[in-house]
Amino acid sequence: MTIRTRLTFWYAGILTVSLLVIGFGTFREIDERLQHEHRREPEQHAMAEAGEMVFQVGLPAVALGLLGGWWLTRRALSPVVGLTEAIKKIHERNLREPLVRTNNDDELDRLTGVFNAMLARLDDSFNRTREFTLHASHELKTPLTILCGETETALRDESLSPAERERAASQLDELRRLARIVDGLTLLAKADAGQVALKLEPVRLDELVRDNFADAQILAEPQGIQVELAACEEISMAGDRHRLRQLLLNLADNAVKYNQREGRVTMSLRRTGDVAEFIIANTGTGIPPEVLPRVFDRFFRGDPAHGQAVDGCGLGLSIVEWIISAHNGSIKIVSVPAKITTVTVRLPLGD
Amino acid sequence: MRVLVVEDEKKTASFVRKALQAEGFAVDVCHDGDGALAAARATAFDGIVLDIMLPGRDGLSVLRQLRERKNATPVLLLSARGGVNERVEGLNAGADDYLPKPFELAELVARVRALTRRSGENKSTILRVADLALDTITHQAHRGGVAIELTAREYRLLEFLLRSPGRLCGRMMILEKVWDYDFDPGTNLVDVYIRRLREKIDSNFEPKLLHTVRGAGYVLKDQP
Repeated sequence: MTIRTRLTFWYAGILTVSLLVIGFGTFREIDERLQHEHRREPEQHAMAEAGEMVFQVGLPAVALGLLGGWWLTRRALSPVVGLTEAIKKIHERNLREPLVRTNNDDELDRLTGVFNAMLARLDDSFNRTREFTLHASHELKTPLTILCGETETALRDESLSPAERERAASQLDELRRLARIVDGLTLLAKADAGQVALKLEPVRLDELVRDNFADAQILAEPQGIQVELAACEEISMAGDRHRLRQLLLNLADNAVKYNQREGRVTMSLRRTGDVAEFIIANTGTGIPPEVLPRVFDRFFRGDPAHGQAVDGCGLGLSIVEWIISAHNGSIKIVSVPAKITTVTVRLPLGD
Repeated sequence: MRVLVVEDEKKTASFVRKALQAEGFAVDVCHDGDGALAAARATAFDGIVLDIMLPGRDGLSVLRQLRERKNATPVLLLSARGGVNERVEGLNAGADDYLPKPFELAELVARVRALTRRSGENKSTILRVADLALDTITHQAHRGGVAIELTAREYRLLEFLLRSPGRLCGRMMILEKVWDYDFDPGTNLVDVYIRRLREKIDSNFEPKLLHTVRGAGYVLKDQP
């Protein structure tokens, strides 16, 4: 029950009791006056007259009171409704925007003030985490550069035995993987901090998809996976070409990696109203429902055993999600385990 | 060819110097921005490898100073900050190329070579290695008189490799020049394309021309 309903009920109760008291008072008053004037059968007469008065004057007054009370509580609580709506819109990226205060120093205004202070503290702590990730990834780059460089220099040494060479090369592979993770982290940390600006230009989405389709076919070939382009409508939008290509390649790469031998990948690009809809579906083990909500989490690996077998930096889908949200789009994944996994990307075309 | 390496991190400067020397470059090293400006004024270098993060005057400021002085020496920027925006900023400031850290040494060497060679690039319309020929006008490839069918992407890859025969080409450089990617997609796209290209140009022919150098990249050359 809302506060408003509760208050209205209480208020109605109080009004009814007041009405009874007034009715009783009126009865007593009339009764006395009648006794004084006529000194005969006063009781019934007074009762009728008091009843009449209560009905004719009291009830409308109560109705008016109730209406007024309802209006009053509504008015008093409307800032709470406003506050609720404003708080609903808060997420980790707009913590910096405080709620608007009325500055009339009432209870709700003070509550808003306290809430804003809490937001500021939260924002501060989010920022610290972001800055930490950003600094950490920067700090990691110098030693990584040295490690990669020196390992590569060692590989150039002609006197290395084949076993030593293999060991150095394998170390270099892992170092490069580490470098990719650090790169991905840097990108995401910068995106979180709002430091990555998209380079918007007119982009022909269908050309990017066709290009991506060609790459996907090549990537899929070694596992005998069939790739199909079911539809590719001509669509232009304002977007960041490199980031959109990264998005498409990432999804295509996943569709091949998490597939089965002789499996299938189907992609399509269609226009529905003001939205470009890119759908990519693949056969394979699929994603269990309990894991699905977490696939965009950084470094999340659904199945540890699977994660080991598939090479990657664990940030691919997080980057995909960022690219899509930076283009004001949305992504949805539906998976029927052991059958088909469908990824739907919707990008608004703007004007 | 004489190259100036400006890098404050001593170990990095040291292996970059070694790698470039191994490729036949004469290498000068300095560790800060003002030193770099002084060195560039005293000597005419064929190329400069310039780290952005330097103590005192940073790399971008060095670069702007150089260009203001009408010094057109090709510059390869290195950066640990590695942002897309920074790349654009660097190129706008007058850099000729940009390489984010951590980089592959082979990549850096290949890029420095490309920078210093720019003027003398192979302008011929028919590119050749051994009996493999590629016509850059008709996009026709032949080996030993046999025509080879190439997709558009395979053509670009082969053309890129043929433009620096006998030279090591790093993965990132191939992704950038052939795919126009400014990011490392973390896929084995390049390896898979190289494998396909190898099937087309090498599998029925001798000697093999397209070689993989483990941990470094690919090279198209006549001798093994």
